[in-house]
Amino acid sequence: MKKKLTVLAIALILTLPFTFLDILPSIGDVNSAPNKHVSAYYIENAISECNSPNMVTAVIVDYRAFDTLLETTVMFLAGAVVLLVLARKPSIKNRIVIPKSKRMHKDKSGNPIYKTVNKDVMITVIQPLILVYAVYVLFHGEVSLGGGFQAGALIAMAYILDVLVIPDKKSVFVLPKKNSVALAGLGPFIYTLTGIICLIGGGMFLEYAKLPFPVHTAELHSIGILAVEVGVTIGVAATIITILNAIMERVTFDDDNY
Amino acid sequence: MQILLVEAVLLLILIGITLSIIFGKDLMTAVITYCGFSFITMFLYIVMGAPDVAFTEAVIGVISTIYFIMMLRSIDRRCK
Repeated sequence: MKKKLTVLAIALILTLPFTFLDILPSIGDVNSAPNKHVSAYYIENAISECNSPNMVTAVIVDYRAFDTLLETTVMFLAGAVVLLVLARKPSIKNRIVIPKSKRMHKDKSGNPIYKTVNKDVMITVIQPLILVYAVYVLFHGEVSLGGGFQAGALIAMAYILDVLVIPDKKSVFVLPKKNSVALAGLGPFIYTLTGIICLIGGGMFLEYAKLPFPVHTAELHSIGILAVEVGVTIGVAATIITILNAIMERVTFDDDNY
Repeated sequence: MQILLVEAVLLLILIGITLSIIFGKDLMTAVITYCGFSFITMFLYIVMGAPDVAFTEAVIGVISTIYFIMMLRSIDRRCK
């Protein structure tokens, strides 16, 4: 019964767009409504007003900066809600992510030997590459594609690799649960602080041209966009690490030993 | 509304992947196939001319797959 309903729903959803095929405008149609009004203004004025070669960045963090501020807050809320949902805490010490069948093989010093992941390659080659690429994406996002969200996700991915590949080692950089939540709140704080500094300079909220620094207007826009993107990066990275900590500390796996 | 040939092929692959996710019995297979779903979606965004969104999709697809696999170990893998 459930499967028949599923097939019916899929068939309905698939036939729906083909029924109204003529209503939707084709991609890149000059005469469609968004291309006539909003896009034309952005294309004409984005580079001269925001001084950002990447128009996507100009739209996201300059024209619609308030929108992005609330999106970052939603990310922080998502991390906090995951902690609330997973409030039950099992009493397990030394949680290891590798399954029990792989855990039996150990070398002389007692470290588990993994069949799937070569941890030397992972730690020495891939992880620094990911981090360098994340910093590149953050600071170059104004010019090329990328930005705060992608950089934060890449930094979080390096941390996840660190936790997954070598579970027992004394990590150089460990972010406990409380600190990660606080750090996730720091991201929207930096974002809002940028806007308030703009207020001090005499402009509107998040109006980068009124930042109280003695440099040219184009550089003021660069400084504002960079500060905002640093805030987004910290928020996103810390939120993803918060969710990882919540899963690692508060979920009962089926092969745990109490 | 016009659809390019590449887009049509990618969309058909997406429909096939979705059907295999829905009717599969193994949840691990479904999760890994979902990773493939976001991979194909990434190509679709590139074809549509939005490399920013494609970049985000690639990174988030990997991270969500890791989380799904970690959470799968707390429930039964087989679908009843």
